[in-house]
Amino acid sequence: MTKVNPDFIKKVATSEEFNATACINCGVCTAVCPMDVELLPRKLFRYALLGLEGKVLENTNVIYQCLLCKMCEENCTADVHIAENVRFLRSYISKEVFKL
Amino acid sequence: MSERRIGVYICHCGGNISDFVEVEKVRDAIENEEGVTVAKTTMFACSDAAQQEMINDIHEHKLDGLVVASCSPTLHTFTFRGVAERAGLNPYQYVQVNVREQCSWAHTDLKEQATEKAIYMVKAGIAKVRLTHPLKKTRIDTVPRTLVIGAGISGLRAAIAHSDLGISAFVIEKSDRIGGWVSEFGKMYPHNRLGSDLITELSEEIKKRENIHIYTEAEILTKSGSVGDFDVKIKVKNEEISLNVGSIIVATGFASYQPYEGEYAYGTDGVLTLPDFKELIDNSKGEIIYQGKPVKNVTYIYCVGSRDSSGEKGHTYCSRYCCNAAIHASLIANDVSSELNQFHIYRDIRTYGKYELLYREALQKGAVFIKFDEASPPRVEKSNGRFNVQVKDVLTFGEEIEIESDLVVLVTAMEPRENKAMNDVLKLPVSLDGFFKEIHPKLRPVETVIDGVLIAGTSQAPRNSAESVAMSLAATSKSASLLMKGYVELEPLIAMVNEDTCVWCGKCSEACPYSAIEKISSGEKEIAAINTAQCKGCGCCVPVCPENALTIKGYTDEQIRAMIDAMEVLL
Repeated sequence: MTKVNPDFIKKVATSEEFNATACINCGVCTAVCPMDVELLPRKLFRYALLGLEGKVLENTNVIYQCLLCKMCEENCTADVHIAENVRFLRSYISKEVFKL
Repeated sequence: MSERRIGVYICHCGGNISDFVEVEKVRDAIENEEGVTVAKTTMFACSDAAQQEMINDIHEHKLDGLVVASCSPTLHTFTFRGVAERAGLNPYQYVQVNVREQCSWAHTDLKEQATEKAIYMVKAGIAKVRLTHPLKKTRIDTVPRTLVIGAGISGLRAAIAHSDLGISAFVIEKSDRIGGWVSEFGKMYPHNRLGSDLITELSEEIKKRENIHIYTEAEILTKSGSVGDFDVKIKVKNEEISLNVGSIIVATGFASYQPYEGEYAYGTDGVLTLPDFKELIDNSKGEIIYQGKPVKNVTYIYCVGSRDSSGEKGHTYCSRYCCNAAIHASLIANDVSSELNQFHIYRDIRTYGKYELLYREALQKGAVFIKFDEASPPRVEKSNGRFNVQVKDVLTFGEEIEIESDLVVLVTAMEPRENKAMNDVLKLPVSLDGFFKEIHPKLRPVETVIDGVLIAGTSQAPRNSAESVAMSLAATSKSASLLMKGYVELEPLIAMVNEDTCVWCGKCSEACPYSAIEKISSGEKEIAAINTAQCKGCGCCVPVCPENALTIKGYTDEQIRAMIDAMEVLL
């Protein structure tokens, strides 16, 4: 059971830089990922949208594993800026968790 | 020998019939049947040229009966009745034989037998037409007045629309004020106007008109007569009033589903139905306060009382209005306090048409949408004065998440309103869902099986106010098309009583679904009489008569027997 954190939603999901609401959960991104990362990006974004901060942080390693190759973005059927979103999450983690 | 002069036309239907039935063989087999004067085949019987040929033949050979062996009567009965009429032949002396749907299309692999069957079908048609008599439509003069039952937004709008067309409207309302549900609503979607303003506007409009009469605390007592000319008795407070109207529009509205005790913790303070929540936010400014405490998190649970596939606790149908209404309510709540966190726990979101914009706006403003499966509904628990809503999110493949909330809003269904007393009078059919039923949802959407009684608004099905008004205007145009012509013509293919054999046992009257049979005295005895305007020719009364005194015009026992005899091969 993961708790929803409304503050996380305010900081991430409604931020202008992070936008994944258009995601239709089709899974093309996961299928084309050269790193074979099952979580990326649709499930990760869903966690972020739902405000499940714990789940996002749990997957910090995966978030940094991404090559930012934009293979997924190129193939996204809903025009989600996936790489930008990943970078946004990285910057969030850097600031909030690693206090950089 | 029969003295009838009958024309028979067998259609190829391009090939739909002639590819499987040898139409020339059929023609040869029937051309010497008793009474047949003209027997022809034609490529398309419904074409203008073929119709003209039939008209010429009717004139030239002085035909008094017409048989067309072609497609389903549903498709072309009226086409060929028109041919007969234009040629001066009584349209009820025409018989259609369905050798396409009931023969060629059904027996594509048995051509020989299909041809044989077609021959017998046409012979039966000829046997039937031999026994036809000219029939006349019943004509009823209509009165330019209507009765609207229910003074909600649909009823009031229908009354104004009738008045615009010069038809007087009597509006009766059970409660002591007009406006119904909408008068209590605050901002409504999609126009964001106040419900109370809409009703004020309508009632101002009504005050300007002399041909609208509104009776509050009124109900219908009895109804007699028929389409175009109903006599209705209503009770207004303690007074009885008789009205004579041409049509009746039923706009009695809906009831709101009440969750049972314990359904998503309903009954606990802080668990509200959507209408209750709407009232709370309509009266809030700057901040939403519930029982003295500010509200920060709101969780909406959708489909409460709707789409219950077992049908045991809720309704099986989708209530249609609720996705839009709940999302719109959440936007208003957001306007009141932008600090609010809102969570929508849904099964399927259906913000159809332009209402998708509401959904988009809610998403942009940070609303969270979480999809659950019917098999694992969310759980609501109260601890330390707040609610803990636990739900399995389908889109993360069953991630169990927990939401802390101050308020839980149950997005409740629309239900049919209990209206037994009224429906004992009107006898309208209801659908499986309990709402009043139209004849056909697409082709005849506001008419009921009772001619002249129309339905509108949410008495028919769950819908929003804009759709309700659209349907009440549809009902108005149907009603006006009946009443403004000044008369209606009704089909003559109805029941007929043999006065000599009828002994009035009352069985036919019990069997009649349209209350079209009543007792009258004829000479020294009592017999059944058919109300020609109410009878639909369904035939329910015919088999129950112990004296065999009833028959349907155009489908007499004599005709049916003759048809069976003509198909002697089947005996």
